[in-house]
Amino acid sequence: MSLIVDTASWLLILAGGFFCIAGAFGILRFPDLYTRMHAAGVLDPFGVSLILAGLMLQAGLTLVTVKLAILILFLGLTSPVACHALGRAARHRRLKPLLAAKEDR
Amino acid sequence: MIDALIYGALILLLIATAIGMARTRSLFAVVALGGIYSFLMALALLVLDAVDVSMTEASVGAGISTVLLLGTLYLTRLHETLPIRLSPAPLAMSVITGLALLYGVVHLPPFGDPSTPMHRHVAPRYLEDVVRETGVPNAVTAVLASYRGYDTLGETTVIFTAGIGVLLLLRRRRRQPSDGKDKAGR
Amino acid sequence: MFAAAVAALVVAIALVLVRGFLGPTVYDRVLAANTIGTLAVGLMAAHGFLNDRPEFLDIALVYALLNVLSTLAILKFFRFGSLGDPEGIEPPPTEPRR
Repeated sequence: MSLIVDTASWLLILAGGFFCIAGAFGILRFPDLYTRMHAAGVLDPFGVSLILAGLMLQAGLTLVTVKLAILILFLGLTSPVACHALGRAARHRRLKPLLAAKEDR
Repeated sequence: MIDALIYGALILLLIATAIGMARTRSLFAVVALGGIYSFLMALALLVLDAVDVSMTEASVGAGISTVLLLGTLYLTRLHETLPIRLSPAPLAMSVITGLALLYGVVHLPPFGDPSTPMHRHVAPRYLEDVVRETGVPNAVTAVLASYRGYDTLGETTVIFTAGIGVLLLLRRRRRQPSDGKDKAGR
Repeated sequence: MFAAAVAALVVAIALVLVRGFLGPTVYDRVLAANTIGTLAVGLMAAHGFLNDRPEFLDIALVYALLNVLSTLAILKFFRFGSLGDPEGIEPPPTEPRR
């Protein structure tokens, strides 16, 4: 039983770590602000929440698990709000997105 | 071992952020990097087991300090002007102060040593005289409320200000039924 | 296992920090600050489990709240020029800040 829990927790933490590093790499390498926000939108809810879910499996049924569940819920609710506010503020200040060349439009 | 590695990595990131803050010329960038610096410093304090200090650093540095600096930036210019001639006095001052602090830290007594002046003179005096001087039976309450009462007054002011700030930030006025505009005033 | 999570989060923080240095517009830097705040929340939880003291999750909750509030405060400043009621303020001039 604990082998199953450990394996599941390892898988979740590895997946979360991969999403975190991939998202951070995307924030570094994407060409424009609006595309970087896509990468941040992957990192914030997915990466950290998967790591927290893996930690939840390790803790068992205690108060710590409830706190981690509240943390995951909170991150899932507020990260999209922050990203959307950022995009809206940038668009309000007429920050132009990087569009494709003219023959693709 | 792992703790030392985590702490070393955080210190390196802090130094890199500080160098980045000193080298950039755009003041908005300095404000954003200052927020990042406060987050990383709160993490470093958490790794050192100083939990209250970490929470205070996060709220003061990443919350209030960033917003106040932004408010100031709206009243001044947005790029730092280069100095006319570079003088070595500030760099020398910083290096001397840093070396003096390092010298002082190295010569501190070990943590939890019972023969330091703090444990031989200060603590017994508070523990023995607290009921006679203040009338409060609990020593910690007496220190918070009576011996260091102005500090507690400042803390309550800070908490109330934070509450007002959050209410201002997240508030939306309800639409009046008389005017025809919607909430954004359009 | 927890050491792997902590290592992944520290590497991610370092990568996003480089974007905080480089980003040409100020919105890149605000995005970097917000992302580093969220990664710091994950790092606090993982570090607490690493040292077998998961009581520090309360600090992580406070942190998550502070992170989102400070991001919204910065963006409200950019949009309206002050932190007050969004009804009675004229918006500042609209060109992207450098």
